[in-house]
Amino acid sequence: MISLPQAPGRLCDGFSRREFLRVGGAAMLGISLPQVLSLQAKANTAVAPAAPLNGWGKADSVILLFLQGGPSHIDIWDPKPNAPSNIRGEFNPIPTNVPGIQLSETMPKLAKQMDKACLIRSVSYTPAGLFNHTAAMYQMVTGETPDKVAPSGQLDPPSPADHPNAAAHIAKFRPPEEPMLAAVQLPRPMQESNIIGKGGNAGFLGRSYDPYFLFQDPNKDIKLDDLTLRPEVPPMRLQRRKTLLETINANMPEIDKVADDYALNEYYEKAYDLILSQKARNAFDLSQETDEMRDKYGRHTFGQSVLLARRLVEAGTRFVQVNWPSVANGNPNDTAWDTHAANFGPLKNLHCPKLDSAVSSLLEDLGQRGMLENTLVLAIGEFGRSPRMGVSTSGNGNAPDGRDHWPYCYTGLIAGAGVKGGQVYGKSDATGSTPLEKPVHPRDILATIYHTLGIDPHTIVMNHLDQPRELVKGEVITGIF
Amino acid sequence: MKPSHNIVLTLLIAFSCCLICQPTVWSQMEESELSVEIPEITTLKTIPESLTLEHARDGRRVLVSGQTKDGGWIDVTSWAVLKPTSDGVKVLDDGYIFPKTVGPTNLKVTVKNLDIDLPINVKSIDTPPVSFVRDVMPILSHAGCNNGTCHGGAKGKNGFKLSLRGYDPEFDYELLIEDISGRRFNRAFPEQSLMLLKPTSEVPHKGGQVIKPDSRDYRLIHQWISEGVVSDVGKTQRVERLEVLPDSAELSMPGSMQQLIVIAHYPDGTTRDVTREAKFTSSVNEVAKVTDDGVVTAERRGETAILTRYEGAYSTNGIIVMGDRSGYEWVETPGYNYIDTHVHNKLKRLKILPSELCTDEEFVRRIHFDMTGLPPTPEQVRSFLMDKTESKVKREKLIDVLVNSTEYVDHWTRKWGDLLQSNRKFLGERGMWLFKEWIHEAIAENRPYDKFVHDLITATGSTYANPAANYFRVSREYTVAVENTTQLFLGVRFSCNKCHDHPFEVWTQNQYYELGAFFSNVRLKNGRLPGEEVVYASFNPTPVKHPRTLAVVEASVPFGETRNDAADKRDALAEWLTSAENPKFAKAGANRIWSYFMGRGIIEPVDDIRSSNPPSNPELLDALTKDFVESGFDMKHIMKTIARSRTYQQSIKTNKWNKEDTINFSHAIARRLTAEQLLDAIGVATGSQPKFEGVPKNLRAVQLPDSKVKDDGFLKLFGRPERESSCECERTSDVSLAHAMNLINGPTVANAVIDPNGRIAKLLKEEKDDRFIVEELYLATLARLPQDNEYATAVEYFANAESKEEGVQDLMWALINSPAFLFNR
Repeated sequence: MISLPQAPGRLCDGFSRREFLRVGGAAMLGISLPQVLSLQAKANTAVAPAAPLNGWGKADSVILLFLQGGPSHIDIWDPKPNAPSNIRGEFNPIPTNVPGIQLSETMPKLAKQMDKACLIRSVSYTPAGLFNHTAAMYQMVTGETPDKVAPSGQLDPPSPADHPNAAAHIAKFRPPEEPMLAAVQLPRPMQESNIIGKGGNAGFLGRSYDPYFLFQDPNKDIKLDDLTLRPEVPPMRLQRRKTLLETINANMPEIDKVADDYALNEYYEKAYDLILSQKARNAFDLSQETDEMRDKYGRHTFGQSVLLARRLVEAGTRFVQVNWPSVANGNPNDTAWDTHAANFGPLKNLHCPKLDSAVSSLLEDLGQRGMLENTLVLAIGEFGRSPRMGVSTSGNGNAPDGRDHWPYCYTGLIAGAGVKGGQVYGKSDATGSTPLEKPVHPRDILATIYHTLGIDPHTIVMNHLDQPRELVKGEVITGIF
Repeated sequence: MKPSHNIVLTLLIAFSCCLICQPTVWSQMEESELSVEIPEITTLKTIPESLTLEHARDGRRVLVSGQTKDGGWIDVTSWAVLKPTSDGVKVLDDGYIFPKTVGPTNLKVTVKNLDIDLPINVKSIDTPPVSFVRDVMPILSHAGCNNGTCHGGAKGKNGFKLSLRGYDPEFDYELLIEDISGRRFNRAFPEQSLMLLKPTSEVPHKGGQVIKPDSRDYRLIHQWISEGVVSDVGKTQRVERLEVLPDSAELSMPGSMQQLIVIAHYPDGTTRDVTREAKFTSSVNEVAKVTDDGVVTAERRGETAILTRYEGAYSTNGIIVMGDRSGYEWVETPGYNYIDTHVHNKLKRLKILPSELCTDEEFVRRIHFDMTGLPPTPEQVRSFLMDKTESKVKREKLIDVLVNSTEYVDHWTRKWGDLLQSNRKFLGERGMWLFKEWIHEAIAENRPYDKFVHDLITATGSTYANPAANYFRVSREYTVAVENTTQLFLGVRFSCNKCHDHPFEVWTQNQYYELGAFFSNVRLKNGRLPGEEVVYASFNPTPVKHPRTLAVVEASVPFGETRNDAADKRDALAEWLTSAENPKFAKAGANRIWSYFMGRGIIEPVDDIRSSNPPSNPELLDALTKDFVESGFDMKHIMKTIARSRTYQQSIKTNKWNKEDTINFSHAIARRLTAEQLLDAIGVATGSQPKFEGVPKNLRAVQLPDSKVKDDGFLKLFGRPERESSCECERTSDVSLAHAMNLINGPTVANAVIDPNGRIAKLLKEEKDDRFIVEELYLATLARLPQDNEYATAVEYFANAESKEEGVQDLMWALINSPAFLFNR
C-alpha cells in the first residue's frame, strides 16, 4: 500500500510537469502503479525504445498528403484488372519502373517514381459509428476513436479534450532546433460538412502545440503580413514592445489564469521567435522556385501546396500536413475525393492528374536533393472506396458508377526515411475488399511516423485531466524498412 | 475509510482509464486492495423498502445503503449478506432474489454488525409464457444483435437484418419468421434453431458468441421457440417509463461506488427489474464512470448524469461526487434577484463559495460588451466611475441605458443575422440588406420572441416586401426547414432522426417527417424584380413520404398538440412552436440568452438539448424560463434580469472553493472578444476606423451586413462565421499562434496604432502631458485608470523611446496585446 500526502482526487496536483515518461518495452504491461508514479516526468523529449528497430530516428521531417474524402484505391493504387466489371471499373493497370508492380493508368507519372515508394495495400480498420468522414479522419491523424460519435459518424466540433494529432505530438517531442514553425497545415482545414477542423489540432496538449494553419491558396499570392517585420517596427523596437507588454501584464495577476487557460504566453513567445527570425517568411515564398519546378508540381492548389511542403521541410519544419483542397459538396464535377455521385470521369480528368504530378514530383525532387533519406512522405485518405460500384456502404446514395466509403481495405503510399522503395507491403484480396496479408491499422501508420522521427510511439503524455495517455496504441510497421 | 485506502482507490481509478487494456494489472490490484474494509456505518436501509415478486421469472435486486457518522448515505450493497428467513425466496449469487413459495416472507440483510429485514410478498410462482416484445426483443438489443454495426445496419449482416436497436418490433418479427430454410426455428428441438446456434457460436457466427449457452437469455429464447415462436406485437405494450434507483446519488470520494437498479414500468401497471439489459452511459466520464452492470464509480469531484436506456425508454440521473470539502463553510451572500437564489442554492449543495463582486471598472467594460458588442469610450468610463450613486444602483441605471441604446440594436441584429444565416450567398445582396433591416426593426421595437419566431415561420410573400420570408430562402427544402427550426428554436438536433429513430433520444424518424409535412406546401417562385423571390403556400402540397415505408406522412408535432384546420399548415406549426405552453421553446430561448451573458448555457451547448445533456441547474433554468414566458417573451426583460443579478456581476477572480467550478456560475467566465468585438475595440482604442469594402463609410464591424464584406482578413481569422449554419458552433473564439502573430505584427493593429487621424496623433497634436496620455490610453483599452506604478512605467518608457510618438504607440500596442484587452472579463 502506498500513500501520498495529497488529498484524494487531487493526486496529480503535485506533478510539476504534465507529462512523464515511461522507459523500456513496448507496452505498459508489467509495470506496477507505484513504478509508474515513480517515473514522474523529468524530461521533455522522448527516449529510444529498448531495442531500436529499423528506421528508428531516420526522419527529420514528415510530409503527410492527407487525401481527405477517401480516394478510390482500386482506381489509383491497387488495380484489380481481373475482378468483375462492377468492381474493376473503367481503368486499366499500367506497369511501373519496378517490375511486378502495377498502378492504375490514372498515375502515369508516379509509375516512373515507383522505385522510391512503398505501397501499403492492406490498410484496414473499422471506424466508430457509421463510417462517415469525421470519425475516420479523427482516427487517421490522432490514432484514437473519438469519445462521442453521433450515430451518423459525425462528431462534436473540435474540443480542447480531443486527442492531439501527430503534428502536435511531434511539435512537443521533437521541436525544430532553430526558430521555425514546428508543424504547418495547409491549404485548408480538415472538414466534413459543417464539422471543421476536428482532429486538426493539438487537443488536450494545448493550443500552443497546434500546427500553424496556412489556410490560403499557394497557387495564388499568399499573404503573410504577420510574418513580415514592418518597416516602422525594426527588431529592436519589437523587443522593447515585448518587454513593455510583459511589465504591463505583470501588474495584472488576476488575468494570468485567463492567459494560462488559452496558452497565451506560449503563443506570444513562439510568435516573437518566428517574426524576428524571418526564416519562415522565406520558406513560404514560392517565387524563389523556378517556373519549371512550379509547373512540374502542378499549377493548382494541391501541387503548389506540396511544393510549399518541401520548402518548409527544407527550412526545418518537422511536420507538414497538406489537406486535399476540395471537400465533399455533392457536385460530381468538383475535385473532392468523395466520389459517390460520379467516380471515373472526375478521377481521370480532375483528381488524379493533380495527385499524380504532385506526388511524383515530390518524390523525384526530394530524391534529387538527397532529402528523401531523412524525410518521410505519406499519401493516404481516411478510407478507400467500395470495390463494388453503385452500392451504399455508408447510408449515402451512390450513382451507378459511384463508389462509397470503404475503410476495410485500402492503400497508403509511404516513402523515404529508410522505407524501402519499389515494394508492395501487404496484399488485398481479388476484389480489393479485405486484406489477405499483413493488415495495417491507421494507428500503426502513426506509430511508424513517430518511430522514424525517433519518438517512441508508446511515450506517455498527461491529458488535460492529468491522466496518462500513450501517443498512439499502434505498432511500428517494421516490414517496410 | 482509512485515508490510505482512499488513496489507493483514487490512484486505481485515475489510472484505470488508461489501463483498461491491461486487465492483469487491474484485477491483481482489485483483489489485493479493494476487498478490504467496510466503511463505518450506523444505520441500514434497503431501496426499495419492500419487494413484490409476481411470478417465477420475476427476479429482483435491492440496494443496501448505510448511513455514515456524518449523516450521509453510502452504497454498501456489495458488502451486504442477504439471507432468506424462510423457504419463500432464494438469493442467487448475483444478488437476484427469486420466489420459491407463495406468500409473505422476509429477507435478512446484514452488513457487519447491522441488520435489517426486507419484507417480500410472493404473489405467484407460475412461469408465464415468454413475450416477444418484453423478453425476446430486449435480449436482441442487449446482445447487440441489432446494433448499427451488426444486423441493425442499413443492409443487415449476412442476409439477416433487424431494425436499428429494435425500434420496429413488427418489422423484426416479420424478418425473423421469414425463414427461408426453416432452420432459424426448430420448435421440436429448440436448441437446434439457428436463433440459438448462431449467437452462441455453435455454428460459425461472424459476430462471435454473444449469448452464452444455458444463460438466462438462452433459456428465454429456448422457451419462446418451444412455445411456438408467437408474436405479441401490437398486443403487448412496450415499456412506458424507466425508474432508476436511487434517483439521485452523492458519492463522497473518488473511488466510491453506487450500484443502480433499473425498473421498467409498463402501461398495464406491471414492473420488472431490467438492470441486466439496460445500457448506461455517463455524461462526464471524468467525474464518474458507469459499468455495463450499472455500477457507478466516482473518479473526481464534479457532477455528471447517468443516462439509462432500455427498449426506447430513457432516464437521466444526476450524480454528484463531492470529494474532500473539509473546512468549507457557506458565507452569507446577498442575492439581487431570483437568479442568485437558485445559483446560491446549488453552490451550497456542492460546497462552493461564489466569487466577490467585480469592480465598477470591470462592470462598465463587461456590460458594454455584452449589451452592445462595443467597449465603453474613455468618456463613458469616466462618467460611470465618477457617478457617486451607490454601485448597485448605478449599475442598474447603466443596464437600462444600454439596453435602450442604438448600439444594442446593432449588436443583437448581428447576432440574429448569424443565427438566421443572413448572407448574400443565400439571399442575394438586396435580399440580405433587407433581411438585416427587418431583423434590426424587430430588435429595435423589442418584438416579443414568440412573435419574432412566429413571423419567420409563417412568412409569405415577396422576400423584398416581407423580408421574414427569407427564412425559406435559407431553408429551401423541408428537411432543412425541419433541422434549422428545431435547432434554432427548440435547441434540439433533429438531423440524426432523419435516417432512423434517434438511438439515444426520444425523437423518432416518423417525427422528423411529420414535422416536415408542415412545410409541404411552402413554395418559392421568382418575383418580378431581379433577385426577388416569393414564398407562397401552394394548394397542392408535395406529399412528404417516409423514406422506408414510402407512406405519405401527415403533419404532426413531436410532442403536445396542434390544430389541423389551418389552410397554411405553418400557421398551426408556428402556433404550437411559439406557444407559452410549449415547454421547450421558452426554455431553449432563455438558455440561449443566458449563455450570451454568462459565457456558457445552463444547458451547454445551447443548441444540443437532450436528456443526456441535462441543465447544470434545472431550478434556475425553470425560473428563467417562467420569467421569460410571464414577461411575454420580452428579450430585454430577460437580459436586464440576468445583468442585474449578483451572479452576472461576479469577478473572474476565483477563491479556494470555486476555482475548479466551470458549470455552476460561481464566478465570471472570461471570454475572448469575438472577431467583431475585437476589431471594434481596437477601433475605439486607437480612434482609427477600419476599412471595409462595399459598405457605407464609418460602419463598425458589428454593423456589417454579412461575412462577405471584405476587411484585411482580421474578422475571418478571429472566427467570424460564414452564416451558413444554424449552429452556434460556427463562430469560433479560440486563440492560436496565428492570432498571436496577427496581433503582434499583423496589419490591423499596426496600422491602427500609427493612424495619422487616430487617438495618438490627436493627443500628441494637442500636446497633452504624459500623465494624461497614459490615463487616456488605459481608459480607451482597459476601461480603467492606471495605477501609480503603471503611470511611472509608461512615463519612463516614453522618456527612453526614440521619440515620444513611438513611445506612445508602443504603449498602445502593448495594452492592445494584453489579455486584459483581448478578453471580456
